[in-house]
Amino acid sequence: MDIDVIDPTFTRLVESRPPLDCIAQGISFGEGPVWDRREQCLYFVDIIGSRIWKYKPGIGREIVLEPTGHANGMTFDRDGRLTVAGWSGRSIWRIERDGAVITLVTHYQGKKINTPNDIVVHSSGAIYWTDSPNGLLFGGMVPDDAQQYIDEHGVYRLSPDGKDLRRVIDDDFYFNGIAFSPDESLLYVNNSADIQHIRVFDVHSDGSLGPGRLFYKPKRSEPGGVDGMKVDVEGNLYTTGPGGIHVLDPNGRLLGRLRVPAHCTNMTWGDEDWQSLYIATIHAVYRTRVKVPGVAVW
Amino acid sequence: MPWNFERVAGPFRGATMGLAWDGSGMLFCAVDEERILRFDPETAAVEEFRKYTQRTGGIAWGPDNILFGSQEAGRRVIAFMPDGSARQTAYKIDGCFHNQPVDLVVDRSCCVWFCDPHSVRRPPGVFVFPPLPHASVLRLERTSHRQWSLQRVTYDTVAPRSLLLSADETVLYVAEGEVEQSGPRELRAYPIASDGSIGRFSILHSFGADYRGEHRGIVGMCLDSDGNIVACAGSRKSGPGPLVYVFTPSGAVLETHELPTDLPNRCAFGDANLGSLYVTSMDGCIYRGTNIGRRGHAAPFVRVSPQAV
Repeated sequence: MDIDVIDPTFTRLVESRPPLDCIAQGISFGEGPVWDRREQCLYFVDIIGSRIWKYKPGIGREIVLEPTGHANGMTFDRDGRLTVAGWSGRSIWRIERDGAVITLVTHYQGKKINTPNDIVVHSSGAIYWTDSPNGLLFGGMVPDDAQQYIDEHGVYRLSPDGKDLRRVIDDDFYFNGIAFSPDESLLYVNNSADIQHIRVFDVHSDGSLGPGRLFYKPKRSEPGGVDGMKVDVEGNLYTTGPGGIHVLDPNGRLLGRLRVPAHCTNMTWGDEDWQSLYIATIHAVYRTRVKVPGVAVW
Repeated sequence: MPWNFERVAGPFRGATMGLAWDGSGMLFCAVDEERILRFDPETAAVEEFRKYTQRTGGIAWGPDNILFGSQEAGRRVIAFMPDGSARQTAYKIDGCFHNQPVDLVVDRSCCVWFCDPHSVRRPPGVFVFPPLPHASVLRLERTSHRQWSLQRVTYDTVAPRSLLLSADETVLYVAEGEVEQSGPRELRAYPIASDGSIGRFSILHSFGADYRGEHRGIVGMCLDSDGNIVACAGSRKSGPGPLVYVFTPSGAVLETHELPTDLPNRCAFGDANLGSLYVTSMDGCIYRGTNIGRRGHAAPFVRVSPQAV
């Protein structure tokens, strides 16, 4: 894979010509990749295909769940339960260890939520996710009820006990990717609408957030945009963007780009050393290698 | 007798489209505002009927108080349900996504006929599904399992903009062609066979061009109680200007009436006994002609209010 070196320190993070292996293709909208440390396998979704796939290196892939309600972002909670941003299902749900599917959230203040996009779980057990109405609109992913009821686009937080649901950000549009810094003191959230930027928020001890600060705004010279984001153990932020994956230092400075030859949607760290980066694109999932491990998923 | 139009609402942001009479008020689309609004002729008040309508530009009543809408941005025909929800209909034909619907009618069998042209405005989001290689009139039909299926109706259109059924539903009228797109701008009449297929079309009216440019064709149509086609067309840029035309079913021009707005879009009858004609426009306003000496045809599922307004 080609890379663009913007800052010389980028070569400390990636090889000059990192590998790019296609591990899955023939999907109609790849998203939601997450690595399962317990089973050492990758989960990802095909949104339009309404499937959750599991990929085991050296073995292959299989369907875990279908239909999914066009599920989107996924992560694991501390108990190893796959926790899902339901997108067209207009819900947050998870798969218990025994395989049971549990719905966690469908409404906010009595109104049906829009379409949850991406999701992270804090070490406290609190679940944060992005929610915008865009899933009501995109062909092939539309829910049974395509009406938007909540005006605000938002980022929501569900308390660890599942009883307190709050909207913690609602001052922007089309919230999409979401990621914590390694020490969880910062939350990165992006805007995938035309404005295309990433903001960063201080995370308070009670789970609330401080005001957002602009962190990064890519130049839109090529196809692609900010979507999924992940952070490595040094606090470097990897985000999808025009032309591939943009790698930013903790100050929001662009270090370089991984030139993935497809429209990237999201990514996750994986393999035992967390030094593989699994990249979901519209029609395929790729794997590359980096020198600095990513933040492990529970 | 000239028809006198007055502006009764607006301007709203962007063009107004629509329209659908609900028995006591006129629903219309404020397309750029992503809203369907309702004009009450008794109070002159405008209220929101539905928001987040994804550039719905055409609306028509179906059974059970369902309002169908053609969503250009949503790239679908949507059913606005009485409970406030919105249900998607079929969006694939021969395994491919259709284009971006702009106008629709509902027949008495509850089939939804709609114009499905290509649009210069791309739908939002990642462009996964290319447009169809054709721009046709399509028809949504209910299967025996209450699912929607999609049928292609026309095979010779390149830019259908508006459509209408005759009162006995044996003729499909199609306004074909857009300025600055290839192909003519004309009003066509297609005979409808009992199996729903259509025959070869007749041209009822053809719009020309002059040194100022191509004449803007029909953007919206409705039927009067005599079976005549009432149509909005034209612009001040070229041709005879923005007009309401009244065509006989064979295409003779019975009347034309000047409009006080450039670039008229859709028209529909409303008010008591469907005795007034409402017109939407690119200027974002709603106009109404009263005492016009014509009444609207009560199409299936259209409610007629006999009371005076």
